Amino acid sequence: MIQLYLQTGILILMVITGVAALLVDDLLAAIILFSAFSFFAVLIYLTLGAPDVAFTEAVVGVVSTTFFIIALNGLRRRCSK
Amino acid sequence: MKLFSYLSLGLMVVVLFATAGGLPVLFDKNSPAAVNVSPRYIEESHRETGSPNFVTAVLADYRGYDTLGETTVIFTAGVAAVLLLRTGRKNGDDSGVDGE
Amino acid sequence: MNRRFGSVVLDTAFRYLVPFILVYAVYVLIHGEDSPGGGFQAGALFGIAIVLEHLVHGDKAFLKIPGTWAVAVAGGGALFYGLIGLFCILSGGNMLQYGMLPLMQDVVERHVLGILGIEIGVTICVMATIVAIFNALTGREDLL
Repeated sequence: MIQLYLQTGILILMVITGVAALLVDDLLAAIILFSAFSFFAVLIYLTLGAPDVAFTEAVVGVVSTTFFIIALNGLRRRCSK
Repeated sequence: MKLFSYLSLGLMVVVLFATAGGLPVLFDKNSPAAVNVSPRYIEESHRETGSPNFVTAVLADYRGYDTLGETTVIFTAGVAAVLLLRTGRKNGDDSGVDGE
Repeated sequence: MNRRFGSVVLDTAFRYLVPFILVYAVYVLIHGEDSPGGGFQAGALFGIAIVLEHLVHGDKAFLKIPGTWAVAVAGGGALFYGLIGLFCILSGGNMLQYGMLPLMQDVVERHVLGILGIEIGVTICVMATIVAIFNALTGREDLL
């Protein structure tokens, strides 16, 4: 039963962070909210009993966050020129 | 157009909520995904593949061809991303040469 | 591209983080058969280590796959996987039937070596793909 409540809470947090990542204006804040979304996905995979998928999701979240931040750096440099 | 997208979104929500009740309960031993091929993997995979981990046995041995396709997909996606990023950069650099 | 990526704290933290990420990636690759993990995760960890090394050290980085070579290395990883499957066919088995590899006497050891081989192929492919996208993002493919 506690697992059901845990999963419901994590899913609600996932929806909140996903919608906030879409709606927020600052790009860096959107990236960080997206990585929070990815972390909640990791938690939900762990509660579902799939550590393999959770590990993959964690690693892909790190890689995508790094790429987003590098692209944001390049964008800022190009815009400020 | 906006009305159409909202209507289709609402329809999607209705369909998802209506069908979510029919999903099998979590960790149910009699759900359709667990009765057909999973017991065979659990019982026989250690003897057939020698691997102590089901996931590795399925991923690398039973579905090895699938993993080959997955690797090819990753490579193709990477090549496509590199090609797209390169052309965009070249067009952007025509205005001002980057002093590296 | 020798300018700093982040602040002093970030650069120092990345500098100490990279060796641990490499060791963990090797552990995930080698031990992936017994525990969660495998080729894809190990490749992503290797890619992250190389990207962080680039970000901290710039062109003087210790680990680098220069320019468009990264794409070729990624194709080489996928080719390595396919060649193992082809090798199984040539030695008389089905595609990816590791028991037919002419390596050891024991069938189980052949299986383990075959699985390790294809995971190394996946690792190389994923790592080089990540480095290739990073090179294209930062405009480093001119270094060839």
